[in-house]
Amino acid sequence: MVLGSSHIWATHHIEDIHAKAELGRYRIRGFSTFQKVTHFDDLVFLSTGLTRFPLEGYKEKCNTQVVLGARYASEPLVLDTPIYITGMSYGALSRNAKVALGKAASLVGTATCTGDGGMLQDERDASNKLIYQVLPSRYGFDPHHLIGANAAEIVVGQGAKPGTGGLLMGVKVADNIAEMRELPLGIDQRSPTRHPDWLGPDDLSIKIEQIREATEGRLPISVKLGACRVADDVKLAAKAGADTIVIDSMVAGTGASAEILLDHSGIPTVPAIVQAREALRELGLYGQVSLVASGGIRNGADVAKALALGADAVAIGIAALIALNCNKEIPGSNFEEEIGVKAGYCNRCHTGLCPVGIATQDPALEARLDPDEGAERVANFLNSMTMELALLTRSLGKGDVRSLEPEDMAALTIEASAMAQIPLAGTNKVFGT
Amino acid sequence: MVDLDASALTTTELNRKLRELAAQGTEHIRILNPQARHNIAVGLLDSCSITIEGSVGYYAASLMDGPEVTINGNAGWALGENLMKGKVVLSRNAGASLGSSMRGGEVFVGGNAGARAGIGMKGGTLVVGGDAGFMTGFMMQRGTIIIGGDVGEGVGDSMYEGAIYVGGEIGSLGSDAKIEEASESELIQVWETMERYGIHDRKRYTKIVSAKKLYHFDSLERLEKRAV
Repeated sequence: MVLGSSHIWATHHIEDIHAKAELGRYRIRGFSTFQKVTHFDDLVFLSTGLTRFPLEGYKEKCNTQVVLGARYASEPLVLDTPIYITGMSYGALSRNAKVALGKAASLVGTATCTGDGGMLQDERDASNKLIYQVLPSRYGFDPHHLIGANAAEIVVGQGAKPGTGGLLMGVKVADNIAEMRELPLGIDQRSPTRHPDWLGPDDLSIKIEQIREATEGRLPISVKLGACRVADDVKLAAKAGADTIVIDSMVAGTGASAEILLDHSGIPTVPAIVQAREALRELGLYGQVSLVASGGIRNGADVAKALALGADAVAIGIAALIALNCNKEIPGSNFEEEIGVKAGYCNRCHTGLCPVGIATQDPALEARLDPDEGAERVANFLNSMTMELALLTRSLGKGDVRSLEPEDMAALTIEASAMAQIPLAGTNKVFGT
Repeated sequence: MVDLDASALTTTELNRKLRELAAQGTEHIRILNPQARHNIAVGLLDSCSITIEGSVGYYAASLMDGPEVTINGNAGWALGENLMKGKVVLSRNAGASLGSSMRGGEVFVGGNAGARAGIGMKGGTLVVGGDAGFMTGFMMQRGTIIIGGDVGEGVGDSMYEGAIYVGGEIGSLGSDAKIEEASESELIQVWETMERYGIHDRKRYTKIVSAKKLYHFDSLERLEKRAV
């Protein structure tokens, strides 16, 4: 056997062992999993023909507005597009990046979300609709910020690293970050994974009630779960009183995670949505509890497929950062010199050396990201995705994205058929049933 | 002083009434018949004085910024959770996660406290007259915890900064916690704090702090080193 030809001892495994033999600990990186998993590309839409009529793809009205969290909240979240910006912390991201994301979300009538590190006032000012996260760490948690938010999200798990807490290397725990989080300057911050004040689902129901009391029942309250034992977790979160459930899959992104968790924990987005939908249906709560999917949403087709599988909306992270210029050579940057890889191959958000000013706390690097220009790019991208979503919806003969359904799709692989619970293309057979 | 009979109100009505009265500048509010309900006096952001006559459930006097709440009874989990400013005084025993994530103010428990008192604490002072359970001060970041009696296993586990003073026996230290000699001025501060609550036993307290050996990863990759 020639070295490098083995699938078991592939070159990246050999490199990994060499690195760990020097390092003596697990390796850390950002971005997303490298595993090849069943994804939205394995599903296709069955557009109209003689069985149903299409809408004029470019012109006819197609509703893209969705309402999240109307189960109990007196002021549910109304989004003009079913795509919002997921929680990414100020700390993992620069101030300019957070502000740009907030402005972009406001420009297109959607929401953004705080992340693990408290609320940055500039982000609040930039965001018409802000989701305030309640994380195990409670870094910078402030009841004034909670009450002033438009929604609250209790984070139980994150798809990129389910079963563990946030991670921020010391280089990014700069003065202002350390102060906001009330941590020693420059420590390698490893956030708690268990909430300090509740443990199980019975406690969670009281926690949800507490937030409802503090916000006088105005705010929709979501529970974010890393997609693992989805059916059971969704049932427990729904029974605990969540208005919205966010399923964050194994392909979701992160600014820093132990690599072993990124690649070996959780399940993909497609089966996660299906399991969540069926769990809610079993409880008779499908349609009452809003369902949000996140992980690997790259374009309007991914959004449409997530909605067709049963999600009410999607949350994006990496895609929004790419729109901000992540992994793109820009004037002033030199990826190979500054971070050791070509643009397009970077996953080193955790080092704080981001050449495009997104995942850094270095003022010189951050200055490479203009928040207004960045906001415009992200808003353009969000608008593009929304237009793609509407285009696909009309091609299916529907005038409302909320009408998308599993019957609109076919699977390209047996695995996708089994995970999505829809027929394999060219057959009437749903595998795995 | 205004009396509120909790048995005649829902918890939401009770909290709304508290908010209204505090905003109107009512100096003292008394809550009768709390029925050990959860989430009493939650999210109050205006200063006022509240006395609760009876036991309360989870999250009493939590997410507050300013009020002073006295509870004549027992409390469930997470009493004084995420307190920003103000004071919470409990006459008897508290459940788990007492003063969790509190960022300021003062919490006093006259009796014993359950597990994880002061977990994730970020500031302020947490005082327990009696004993405290396991994992007291787990991952605390700042502030002061004073336990008059004994404390359970794993005290101060993974704490970052701040100090825990224990008047009685220590079950065991948690990861990265160590005992440090308390200075005379620190002991005087501890004694004076206890005396404010009628505890006049000027005994030697054991001070527990972070050993700070978990602050950083032991090794870094090439690019991570470049960043540092």
